Amino acid sequence: MLLLLLAITFAGPYLPFVDRELTTITYILNEEKKPVIPPYPPSEDYILGTDKSGRDILSLIILGAKETILLVACITVLRYVLAIPLSFLAHKKWLGTHLLLKWLNGLLSYIPTIIIIMLLAMLPPFLLSEYRPLFLLLIIALAEMPRAAEMIKLEFDQISFKEYIYGGIAAGASPYRLFRIYYLPLLYSKLLVYMVTDLGKVMFLLGQLGFVGIFISQDFVQSMTGDWQLVNNSISWPMMMMKAFEDIRGPIWIPFFSAFAMTYAILTFNIFAEGLKSFFTRKVRYI
Amino acid sequence: MLQSILKSTGVFMLIIIGFILILFLPREKELTFLSAFQIEADYPFSFELYVERIEDFTGHILTEKGLGEARTGRPVSDEAGIFVARSLKIVLPAFMVSMLLGTLMGAVQFYRRTKFTGKLQNFLSWMFSSIPDFFLFIAIQYLFILMMQHGLPHFKLYGHENWYSFFLPLISLSLFPFLHMSRFTSAALENEMGEEYVRTAYAKGLGHFKALLHMLWNCWSPIMNQAQLVMLYILSSLPIIEKLAGYNGAGKELLFSISSNDEIKALSLMLPFLFIMFLTIILSQTAKLWLVQKERV
Repeated sequence: MLLLLLAITFAGPYLPFVDRELTTITYILNEEKKPVIPPYPPSEDYILGTDKSGRDILSLIILGAKETILLVACITVLRYVLAIPLSFLAHKKWLGTHLLLKWLNGLLSYIPTIIIIMLLAMLPPFLLSEYRPLFLLLIIALAEMPRAAEMIKLEFDQISFKEYIYGGIAAGASPYRLFRIYYLPLLYSKLLVYMVTDLGKVMFLLGQLGFVGIFISQDFVQSMTGDWQLVNNSISWPMMMMKAFEDIRGPIWIPFFSAFAMTYAILTFNIFAEGLKSFFTRKVRYI
Repeated sequence: MLQSILKSTGVFMLIIIGFILILFLPREKELTFLSAFQIEADYPFSFELYVERIEDFTGHILTEKGLGEARTGRPVSDEAGIFVARSLKIVLPAFMVSMLLGTLMGAVQFYRRTKFTGKLQNFLSWMFSSIPDFFLFIAIQYLFILMMQHGLPHFKLYGHENWYSFFLPLISLSLFPFLHMSRFTSAALENEMGEEYVRTAYAKGLGHFKALLHMLWNCWSPIMNQAQLVMLYILSSLPIIEKLAGYNGAGKELLFSISSNDEIKALSLMLPFLFIMFLTIILSQTAKLWLVQKERV
């Protein structure tokens, strides 16, 4: 078991790179069209089949990987950039931030995140804004931010009882200095593990949102009937799931393989997180 | 005891109000017909409109003495009842399976932790818990379709009419909470290992199995704390899985009503969900108190 864990630890960091190399190599075998009706089932020509406009799903997935992972990473980083200061303020009980955090967490423990995002994402100011992708990114990052902040706050609470923190206070360090030099360095490794684990969760959330039909990069276009519609112009993975409810009764391989790609990514992130975790715990133990 | 229930009720009320406030943010569009070919859609968004919508809503509640009638003519609450009953058929078994079987599996995994099978189980449960439920669902369906092409007798994979149609969603919904519970129980038991009473139990010559029972009894409190999380997970995945399965339950209807701006209906479907969460919290707290008290005697 330990051997297996070690193997995962060392293989984990390499798995994401495997992904990236594939991206550049297969860039050449791109989209192709045939006179036969497009959604082809998986065959020898198209290992994973094609989608409705005849694009090879394998290359779609590989090409979409960069965008998808970039999105996921952006959301996670944004979430933690917001969560870390908030959690420190909540730890210090500054201006009732701890109450706010508690209340937000209470709300989120009752209402599923996806419902909140659906409700907020369809609000007109965000919907019509030119910066819609940015707003959506922010909403998704914010939606799970309180949970992350709560987790970090617990860490802060734990650390604050350590001797050297008292030492710092006695030496007259300002709260900001305490935060930057006394608290944060101890948390780097834990934060990294949390963030990598969160990558998987964000991917899962994006997948769910994909089923509902909410994406980051959508354009808002007026259709023939005068109605406004959201049009997709990206190739990220969740996009392939949008028609899943129709596809699942016919060309089921389209949602299947995009979901498979997400599962693979989530698994990779989790393995990576597990590897990091065991790496850091061992490092600490040797000191 | 009573105090904690009152406190939870207060939080529950606040959360319902919070949800209504979010739900009624103005999101309706106004179409202005400038000419036959030029139609402009406008999404007015102002604080006055928001206040007006909330006043409308409270007025609606007061005049109708309830949620009023749906677009089909039946009372909204009746209609929601049908959908919620259908969803409960999935939610309750999923919850039971993940809580009871999950705890049991965790105990088994802990019991065999040094043996190869236990380690294998540990690895497998870790591995499978990284699989998102929607993928699991699609994968099972794909598998069945492939098998039907190769001679498996036909049966309906979608819909809610057949007696067995709740089964597939149930499996894909309960897998993650089940594994979560099993891993959590195993970890909680591992924590108990360091306690003095365990050593005493072993010293008195109690077998592994009986000692495990003792330890499990002491783990109830953290295990019960997980009930809320398990329920939340089931409820958040329910809409997607129901929609994928074509299972006409409350989750699917909820998604539909939110995307079609039917706030009253969304509220009527969301309230039971919130209430289920509330019940879960209350019940798990009561169970915790009861178990811990009994243990003290």
